[in-house]
Amino acid sequence: MPTYEVALMLRAMPKPELKTTLKRISHAIFDRGGIIRNIENLGFRPMPYKTTAHGIVHREANYFVFKIDAATKAVWDLKEEYSRDVDVIRRRVFKSQDTCDNNCTLEEELLPPAYREDVQNMIEVGKTQVNRFTYKFKYNSGLDYYPFQK
Amino acid sequence: MSLLKTLLTRYVLPNTYRATAVRFTSSDAKLSACDDTPVEMENPYKKERRQCILCKLNIKPDYKNYRLLSQFQSPYTGRIYGRHITGLCKNKQALVENEIRKAQNCAYMPYYYKDKVFLKDPKLFDPENPIRSHRF
Repeated sequence: MPTYEVALMLRAMPKPELKTTLKRISHAIFDRGGIIRNIENLGFRPMPYKTTAHGIVHREANYFVFKIDAATKAVWDLKEEYSRDVDVIRRRVFKSQDTCDNNCTLEEELLPPAYREDVQNMIEVGKTQVNRFTYKFKYNSGLDYYPFQK
Repeated sequence: MSLLKTLLTRYVLPNTYRATAVRFTSSDAKLSACDDTPVEMENPYKKERRQCILCKLNIKPDYKNYRLLSQFQSPYTGRIYGRHITGLCKNKQALVENEIRKAQNCAYMPYYYKDKVFLKDPKLFDPENPIRSHRF
């Protein structure tokens, strides 16, 4: 089961209601054989843009991030269920990425153009192409008529 | 008197110095005749490999860390700055752009401006002085 991050925006509501909503959301994960690794509360704050959900305009939201292990097929099902949930304004699911390689290629990118590998490749490709701007049709093509519109 | 002094400095003193120098080298040559060969070593003037700021500090851009991501955004238009301004390597720039799009989509970050709370954050780079020239 791959690890996913479910970013949820819940509507502004009192704490007991929020508790039941979070319970409902997590039970939906458990029902589909998922595991919750951790729940992050990013706080209640005004949204950077207003959002309409279920016929109401929201300007503030409770931000939560669930880190879950669930089957790939279950994720689609979860998203569909949350889309029907009135308390969820927005939900996004991302694959969690923990590893990050630090092979910095800045040194090669700051070289003069002639020494850069991508530029050299471009020159090689350019050599195999016909230059459209300087190409001239040769009349000794064996045809007894001009093949293009004059 | 002055003539004597100049003569002394020009002809006599240098000779004495040379004589002492010769004496020293001749004595040293006996000691280290074989150590006089050029030493195989790495280029001591080789410059350090440059790294982008995120690679140097080992930071992984994350969509939840929208304060860091907002530093790569224009305060006027919310536009994501390009590689010629941010000075990041290709890999990290692509990651940053991707994470900014995620954060904007999750409503952590605005699309068309920078959050006013972060306006006084330290500048990582100067958009007025890009590494490569602007198209504009």
